[in-house]
Amino acid sequence: MSNIAAVRQLVETGKTKLIAAATAEALKEGAAATEILEAMIDAMGVVGEKFSTGAIFVPEMLIAAKAMSKGVEVLKPHLAGKSATSLGTCVIGTVKGDLHDIGKNLVAMMLESAGFTVVDLGVDVPAEKFIAAIGDDVKLVACSGLLTTTMPAMRDTVAAIKSSAASHIKVLVGGAPVTSEFAREIGADGSAPDAGSAVVRAKELLKAA
Amino acid sequence: MLTIRDNLLETIRGGKPDRFVNQYEYLDIILEAPLKTSPKRGETITNEWGITFSWPQDQIGHFPVHDEEHRLLKDITKWREIVKAPSVQYPDERWAAAVNHAAAVDRRDKYVTVFFAPGIFEMCHHLMGMEDAMMSFYEEPECLHELIDYLVDYEIRYAKEIIPRLKPNALFHHDDWGGQIASFFSPEMFAEFFVAPYKKLYGFWKDNGIELIVHHSDSYAANLVPHMIDIGIDIWQGVMTTNNTPELIKQYGDRIAFMGDIDSGAVDTMDWKAEVIAEHVEKACTRCGSRAFIPCLTQGLGISSFPGVYDETSRAIERMSGRMFPRP
Ligand code: B12
Repeated sequence: MSNIAAVRQLVETGKTKLIAAATAEALKEGAAATEILEAMIDAMGVVGEKFSTGAIFVPEMLIAAKAMSKGVEVLKPHLAGKSATSLGTCVIGTVKGDLHDIGKNLVAMMLESAGFTVVDLGVDVPAEKFIAAIGDDVKLVACSGLLTTTMPAMRDTVAAIKSSAASHIKVLVGGAPVTSEFAREIGADGSAPDAGSAVVRAKELLKAA
Repeated sequence: MLTIRDNLLETIRGGKPDRFVNQYEYLDIILEAPLKTSPKRGETITNEWGITFSWPQDQIGHFPVHDEEHRLLKDITKWREIVKAPSVQYPDERWAAAVNHAAAVDRRDKYVTVFFAPGIFEMCHHLMGMEDAMMSFYEEPECLHELIDYLVDYEIRYAKEIIPRLKPNALFHHDDWGGQIASFFSPEMFAEFFVAPYKKLYGFWKDNGIELIVHHSDSYAANLVPHMIDIGIDIWQGVMTTNNTPELIKQYGDRIAFMGDIDSGAVDTMDWKAEVIAEHVEKACTRCGSRAFIPCLTQGLGISSFPGVYDETSRAIERMSGRMFPRP
């Protein structure tokens, strides 16, 4: 197995304790940092797909994302300035009144491993805070909500963004109670049922932009 | 008319119930028993385990606080130094209300029921946060096994206190094992970490007078049903519609019963409507039938987030009983 293939494998299987050494090894053997990073991103794509189809579960996804971030640590000094892989910045948060963040964190991790720069605002985020976080490089805002009681807050957040100066920014919404009809009804640009498909949807939205 | 208890037994044993079992009616849950402190609305407290819980004024419930400052167990390898189970010895005065409540229950009609929460996995994520708990399956499995054994030991010690006092005959036990569309972990992982501990726990309760184990997980967990049967669950409460309950009944109804199929999230809303509740109840009752099925909100106690929803659901179920069971 080539060193890059090994790194890919270690990300996919979430080997957090072996990844740093393998990444260093691949670099030493002459692989380009960007190339290794691409392999990691591909691996996380596979992880996302498996999660979407129910072949793997939350722990497998968390551990793969952690493995990737440990690998990226090793790559970082070699990547400086080479932001070729950045898909832009995504601001993410759980809407006001809601403190559930496992799903949101998974989406953030998957977006990050797909090449987005992610600004995570945390939980219980009021609409104004979302808007204030939208800087020049922001391409996407992602809102999460798990409570039926915070669906109105999600509606308000989307409405506030869409009537602000940042109205052109794409808004992606999700969380267990969010259906695609609901997303359309509240004026969001898209939604996705899980973290794997969130990345697919995010990329589609930006392509369409 | 059958007693509530006999009607339940007919339902879960494939006999001839004469009406639907109506939600939690067969369980008289003794919530007065001492167990743990929870915050009231507007409060933040640190409980007996050292876990901080908060219930902000504008929220519908309380939750563990897991920021860096408050998370109790930050490194699972240190659990022995950090996690200290509280004492299970309470003075008689603390038991009095529970004992009186249990004594007042007509046991021919209802089950005197112990309430136990959080469950093993919930306790793990209350201690360390969901993400660390989930990653420890892979990163520190040995430590996690040890911690789980410690939690099992605590619950058994608690059982030894409550059983002689209340002589309960049912257990209502929480442990959420999933989200809306997937279980938190694979069946294989569930088998590795939870089957043996739960067999030990539920086995202990059953060896000591508990006739009925009702386990709450308001989630998807259809893939865990074979394990639920294996660990001795009699009734899975909280089964969400995403599980395809009718199919589960067909496949497993001779070994376990299902209580739920009315998603709280869909009907228990601030602006709830009786028609919407009736519609969901009708769907649940007609698609699931009365064999091994108890129509119920998925919420983990006989209450609702918004006043009136629980009772309205009960009324709708009663109407469905009237429609679906021939009058003698
Ligand atoms: C774990 C959990 C908790 C944990 C949360 C820990 C944490 N750090 O997040 C704790 C214990 C703290 C908690 C607290 C509470 N909870 Co809670 N909780 C759950 C539970 C069991 C699982 C949620 C979960 O993590 N799922 C797993 C993740 C991976 O899935 P997910 O969140 O759906 O995310 C996926 C998708 O939805 C999507 N997605 C998510 N966000 C986004 C965003 C975008 C942009 C996109 C595209 C996609 C996307 O991708 C994710 C990954 O695939 C659910 C039960 C259930 N059946 O869902 C209840 C549940 C959500 N909780 C509920 C309640 C009521 C509460 C409380 C009020 C407490 C209480 N007393 O019950 C408090 C709420 C406090 C608050 N204001 O938020 C209710 C909500 C009912 C309702 N009316 O809607 C539920 C449904 C349980 C129930 N039936 O009672 N909870």
